[in-house]
Amino acid sequence: MRTTIVSAVLVVLLGLGLLVGAGVENGPNPFITLGVMNGAVFGLVALGLVLVYKGTRVFNFAQGEFGTIAAYLLFLSINRGWPYWVGILVALAGTVLIGLVLERGVIRPLINAPRINVLVATIAAALFMIGMEILIARIEPRSLSPIIAAVDSSGNPNGVTVFNLPIEPQRLIALGVLLSLGGVLAWFFSKTDLGLAVLATSQDAFATRVMGIGIERMSRFIWVSAALLGAIAGILYVPLTGALTPAVMTSNILIPAFTGAVIGGMTSLPGAFVGGIVIGVVQSVGLWAGGHFTIGEKALQEVIPGVEQVTILLVLLAVLLSRPQGLLGKEA
Amino acid sequence: MSTQTDETQTISPVASEPSRFRPSTRGWAIRLVVIALLAVVTVWRVATVQPLWADHISLAAIFAIIGLSLNIVLGYTGQVSLGHHAFVGLGAFIAAHHITERAGCAPEEGCIESSLGTFSVAILLAILSGVISAGLLGMVALRIKGLYLALITLTYGFVAVNSIFEISSLTRGGAGMPAPRPATFFSDHKYMVLCLGLLGVCMFIDWRFLRSKMGRAVLAVKSSEAVAASYAVNVTAYKLMAFMLSGAFAGLAGALFAFRRQIVVAPDFSFSTALLWVLMVVVGGLGSRLGVVIGSMFFALFPFLIQLVGFLNDFLANTLQRDPEELTLVIGPFLALLTMIQFPGGIAEQISPITRWLGGDRFTMHPEGKHHKPSLLQRRRAKKQGLEVHDDAELVATKSEDLLRDAAGEPDAASTQTMAAVDSSEEVKS
Repeated sequence: MRTTIVSAVLVVLLGLGLLVGAGVENGPNPFITLGVMNGAVFGLVALGLVLVYKGTRVFNFAQGEFGTIAAYLLFLSINRGWPYWVGILVALAGTVLIGLVLERGVIRPLINAPRINVLVATIAAALFMIGMEILIARIEPRSLSPIIAAVDSSGNPNGVTVFNLPIEPQRLIALGVLLSLGGVLAWFFSKTDLGLAVLATSQDAFATRVMGIGIERMSRFIWVSAALLGAIAGILYVPLTGALTPAVMTSNILIPAFTGAVIGGMTSLPGAFVGGIVIGVVQSVGLWAGGHFTIGEKALQEVIPGVEQVTILLVLLAVLLSRPQGLLGKEA
Repeated sequence: MSTQTDETQTISPVASEPSRFRPSTRGWAIRLVVIALLAVVTVWRVATVQPLWADHISLAAIFAIIGLSLNIVLGYTGQVSLGHHAFVGLGAFIAAHHITERAGCAPEEGCIESSLGTFSVAILLAILSGVISAGLLGMVALRIKGLYLALITLTYGFVAVNSIFEISSLTRGGAGMPAPRPATFFSDHKYMVLCLGLLGVCMFIDWRFLRSKMGRAVLAVKSSEAVAASYAVNVTAYKLMAFMLSGAFAGLAGALFAFRRQIVVAPDFSFSTALLWVLMVVVGGLGSRLGVVIGSMFFALFPFLIQLVGFLNDFLANTLQRDPEELTLVIGPFLALLTMIQFPGGIAEQISPITRWLGGDRFTMHPEGKHHKPSLLQRRRAKKQGLEVHDDAELVATKSEDLLRDAAGEPDAASTQTMAAVDSSEEVKS
């Protein structure tokens, strides 16, 4: 119920923004559209964060690096001359393997440790992955081609054009994947036995074990799914940035995704979706406002550089002050 | 729970605790001589150190102050700050800005040495900036139950890197903001002495803080917010105060960081640096002052220590063609993971037999009343003997008198430390 109301309010707000924006010269409309598209990637990573949080009550700081590693695996496969879809399979399989190793080697030994230890352990795992990437791949940027090229052979842009803004096919794919994965996960957690078992584990691991559910199996399942989600986000996002560097997902995506997940409510899958889009739009409109408005002689972004990130922090603070459990979360 | 637990709990209480061990006069004399020797050797080595290494040691002292700052958050209040690069960076820029722009000591105007007065004011301003920003963020984040401080500081750090550190009047953009040292501390050696001295001050404040009413309240809040609140401890206020003290240390470290290089550039303070700082505290040993200082210094000096080991340095430089600093990002997290999984006490735990002995206790590897996670080897051995061992098991008690004492002593310890491995259900519920 709450989900429907909040989503409807946000859609109406978005529509109003577009309507008002249509009357403005150099208006925000292309930025709003771009924000929704960026938000799709934030939402994908946020989905993985929420999944792990629902299952284990841990903020997973390694979620971003799953994506970077998947992107590197895809890059390596394509460089070897393998077809794109084989590369994607290799990337997904490799990342799932890393997820398994992470679960068995780091998370499982800490299964009964305080949550803060597990949180720090995911930080250590993320930094370890970043360190290995730097050591093996160096900091030099590489380029990764998208699934469908942005420009076809005759030079015309693929994809669609909204408000004079060409949208690459890759962005549309990301939005579609986010929508369908969000739906599948929501169904999974409310309707299937396995999904309910995962939720039970997060609420009371001891009682769940007494009920005959193997919490180790649940933990493994959660981390494999999280790795898979992270890998999908990485494969979809990195070609859009144009540069594949170590820690690209952690430095560009992880923090907005976390903010989005918190705004949506850490325990809510639709919340991750909504929060991701909200962050995308807020960031993008902030960027537009920074160039559009002026304070005295100077543009806003000259007075406050990075105004779009400041707006993110303000939105996060506002949401946490008024609704600590997030827009769609159930508990604080 | 297995049946063995019940058996240990039914054993009747034994005689009262043995009186605390006190070394003899000769024992004290030996300990004092060892402490004096350690002090003399340290002071002598530090006093005669090369200028290059004096600079490295300054960095180590700054890292140690940052470590103490994070230890207050992580070790005492049980929260995480992932935005410490922002606190430290802001302190550095504020200090440099005060010297160069407000006190008017800019190198382009021929001012190479700042005056001692402006230097002190700059450091105080940096500390104040840390206190204020920690206070503002904490006021929002620490009201909420859970680890939300991690997320707010995370976003704050992101904003600091992308926005605050881009304000050119504060940072002078990519060129960096100069921060000349005063004449009193101009040489690297004198500056190292200053850094070490301030580290000592921080350790003293940290010690007094933990022993005060405030420190006890903070520790109580960490153990259980509900119980602390029922004893009329204002949970949010004490967490906030601890976080502000942490901010003060971070600001101080920032100012020292600025004057170390005498120029501040934004790339010095990145997100991954903040993460590495969190890990060095974990490796040092959460909640242990000495352990954290040693751990932080190790992380700071690691790249330079590698260069001392000739063959390793050759291997890195020639065969792998890698910078030692790149290795820190791999070794650091690896050590942190190893610490958390296998040696939860960190460096502090490893050196505890020595530190306890110096403090007037027996030299034992396994102090009484301390629970150890069974090592991999112990668990394997137990498995061979047909005992069931869970990952969450406490140490297999080897001596029967330990068991008796535990059964007689604290009920919590008795229920968790048992002959065989037993699920500690209390932990699962929390």
